[in-house]
Amino acid sequence: MARSNEVNLNECKMVVPLNTWVLISNFKLAYNLLRRPDGTFNRHLAEFLDRKVPANANPVDGVFSFDVLIDRGTSLLTRIYRPATAEEPLPDVAELEKPVTAEVVPVIIFFHGGSFAHSSANSAIYDTLCRRLVGLCKAVVVSVNYRRAPENRYPCAYDDGWTALKWVNSRPWLQSRKDSKVHIYLAGDSSGGNIVHHVALRAIESGINVLGNILLNPMFGGEERTESEHHLDGKYFVTLRDRDWYWRAYLPEGEDRDHHACNPFGPNGRSVKGIKFPKSLVVVAGLDLIQDWQLAYVKGLKKAGQEVKLLYMEQATIGFYLLPNNNHFHAVMDEISRFVGSDC
Amino acid sequence: MVLYDSTALAGNSSGSSSSSSSKPPPPLQPQQQQEIDGLLAGAGYKVRSSELRKVAQRLERLETAMANSPADFSQLASDTIHYNPSDLASWVDSLLSEFAQPPTCPSEFVMDPVTNQTVVNDAWTTTEPNMPQVHQNISYEQQSLNNQLTVVTAMEEDSGIRLVHMLMTCAECIQRGDFSLATSFLEDMQGLLTRVNTVCGIGKVAGHFIDALGRRIFQGIGGGSINGGSAYENEILYHHFYEACPYLKFAHFTANQAILEAFDGHDCVHVVDFNLMHGLQWPALIQALALRPGGPPLLRLTGIGPPAPDGRDSLREIGLRLAELARSVNVRFAFRGVAASRLEDVKPWMLEVNPKESVAVNSIMQLHRLLGSEPNRNSPVKTVLSWIRSLNPKIMTVVEQEANHNQPGFLDRFTEALHYYSTMFDSLEACTVQPDKALAEIYIQREITNVVSFEGSARVERHEPLARWRTRLSGAGFRPLHLGSNAYKQASMLLTLFSAEGYSVEENDGCLTLGWHSRPLIAASAWQALSDAPAEFPAPDTHRPS
Repeated sequence: MARSNEVNLNECKMVVPLNTWVLISNFKLAYNLLRRPDGTFNRHLAEFLDRKVPANANPVDGVFSFDVLIDRGTSLLTRIYRPATAEEPLPDVAELEKPVTAEVVPVIIFFHGGSFAHSSANSAIYDTLCRRLVGLCKAVVVSVNYRRAPENRYPCAYDDGWTALKWVNSRPWLQSRKDSKVHIYLAGDSSGGNIVHHVALRAIESGINVLGNILLNPMFGGEERTESEHHLDGKYFVTLRDRDWYWRAYLPEGEDRDHHACNPFGPNGRSVKGIKFPKSLVVVAGLDLIQDWQLAYVKGLKKAGQEVKLLYMEQATIGFYLLPNNNHFHAVMDEISRFVGSDC
Repeated sequence: MVLYDSTALAGNSSGSSSSSSSKPPPPLQPQQQQEIDGLLAGAGYKVRSSELRKVAQRLERLETAMANSPADFSQLASDTIHYNPSDLASWVDSLLSEFAQPPTCPSEFVMDPVTNQTVVNDAWTTTEPNMPQVHQNISYEQQSLNNQLTVVTAMEEDSGIRLVHMLMTCAECIQRGDFSLATSFLEDMQGLLTRVNTVCGIGKVAGHFIDALGRRIFQGIGGGSINGGSAYENEILYHHFYEACPYLKFAHFTANQAILEAFDGHDCVHVVDFNLMHGLQWPALIQALALRPGGPPLLRLTGIGPPAPDGRDSLREIGLRLAELARSVNVRFAFRGVAASRLEDVKPWMLEVNPKESVAVNSIMQLHRLLGSEPNRNSPVKTVLSWIRSLNPKIMTVVEQEANHNQPGFLDRFTEALHYYSTMFDSLEACTVQPDKALAEIYIQREITNVVSFEGSARVERHEPLARWRTRLSGAGFRPLHLGSNAYKQASMLLTLFSAEGYSVEENDGCLTLGWHSRPLIAASAWQALSDAPAEFPAPDTHRPS
């Protein structure tokens, strides 16, 4: 097996810049240490190793942030990112929740990735990504620190996402001047992308209008083993075995990967035909082993008559959007900005 | 300004946007070789650009090692103590060293078809065209010293927000010297306070800040005795603060853990406690030393504290109780009290340190009191750090409030304090035990009063953030002893067992912080004097040239 390992290590070196390789490999190896074979998770070590950053109400590169506890019962924290404006380059700390002033302000509710088990809203990589989204989309970003598996299984992450959606929708200070409504987008990567779909689904009956879903390398799966899973297993930082572990950690005990949380358009899925589902932007990395499931998701949306744009980045691996050192990054950021800007 | 590193210079076709092709690239300055990769820094990792390739190779090796020896791997996963994950290179190396025989990766070396010699496989892709590598000359410490203001709020009612706004405006008037306007704001706020929920949230802490501002306006900035309380009162309040929330317990626990490890293998040990109080920290250490494999050392404890106003030798009383405990667990123990109203009045000869013993200096929220109002002169902190160093301690444990309450500008200081203490009060809400909670609040209120209403030598609560202490201590000849994942885990577990949900321990470049939700409030670190400290212990009265 040393032979194929050799091949694997060589292949993924070729397609990512050196610092990206170092970052993602570091995560890969650290995460290997955290997943225990019995399904438990070394949470203490995970939190110790995770690089976190505090919020900063003083603007850095035009963006300031502050944390809000939106549900004491579940200790649900969100980190809110806002642009410092030309009129007010230094925000008044007494009024961090000052009303937005533009005609239309997109509010992006962001769900960080980590396969439902890793990372937090205050993880450095996600703090950086959210800050970028503010400048890119001239938006307010609300990053949700949802409860994680295996300590908190389905549907906790979705519940927290739903709580955040309701909270955002009911903030007067987030309403756009144009129509006194909050212009909400849902965005997320990996497990966050999965959460986006399920929270959007919950929003349907409630009357809360979600303007768009952005799914970056969303985490989906199913019982069947697909071509991409066979072909790419272990080649680009990710193995099928770790994917299986994370599903076992998130899904209710005894459920398999055809549970609708994992496989939304599978045998136990829920059709979105005929309902007012938000338009979707789905980004798929060509070197991500679960791409067949992501593509099946896109297909499922299309079949149901929903508006969806697929961005297939052929030579991209997981995590390409974490560092701005590759063409895929810039291409995707441009698309996101257009997707969010198109409602103005 | 774009800086070049060795990889960008090595004939890379991408070439950064501002390179001028006619001139040869400038020779690498030592400074440039120190620069860290800006993108990884944004992700929380410090890796020198010049070391990226080496770190990558080591990661590869580590992966192979993990795959090839499952037994070592599972031990790595469960028993290994991790340190300072931000320093990626040393983290990877420390993991590699856990393997019996770290392999050479087959993929690292390939046969050069021309020369038939093995060469290092540097197969990593070079930068894509038109994608300049951004290597920023970030001074990592500088980044954290940038004006940082962390706010964690819960949802506030409108009147709460108005109150905060008024507090800020009032503070701003005071900064400008417009005391009459400040006074009218004060009156408005006192009125608003009656309509706001003062039981929790911003209403509660606002009341204390309104009082502090009032005091500043009417009594002046040096007015009254320091905090108006006796040492005895302070001790009582301290004790209840200890009981009501985990900050002091965390401080003691983390420091003791580090001291225990530092004393490993030493038979004569001496702990110098900069603020004995009721000696709450020491029973646990005494018991841990009693239980250590190989038996306990001879333990000396020197406790510093203010003299009792009624002439009692209060320090000695504490010492006697600790001696009782030590006797009951068969630890040879000796205690000495050093009475001093201020830490800067203590001279090293008073501690009677024996050159043969291993010394631990323990400072729980004391060092900041030494930061005088004129930092550039021979401030007390420099003097004290210097004599600490001359004791050549095995370890110095430092716990400080993680806040920037020593800024020269009043408004900045006020703003920071408002957010810091409102977070701390928020965390106290979880405590339901009385009178612990009420008295703990008074304890905190006294700190607030000192930060807000006092100036000059009366203002002793001069809290500074960890980043600043790091710079200061490194500059004074100390190197950090990193607190590892074992300390982290134990602190986390204790919190889960004994405290409400919401407290969080975080790792920060080898130090540990305890905070409420995402806001660190207390930082614990450990230090050792750098080895060029004098080998000979100086005679007490020798004046050493500085």
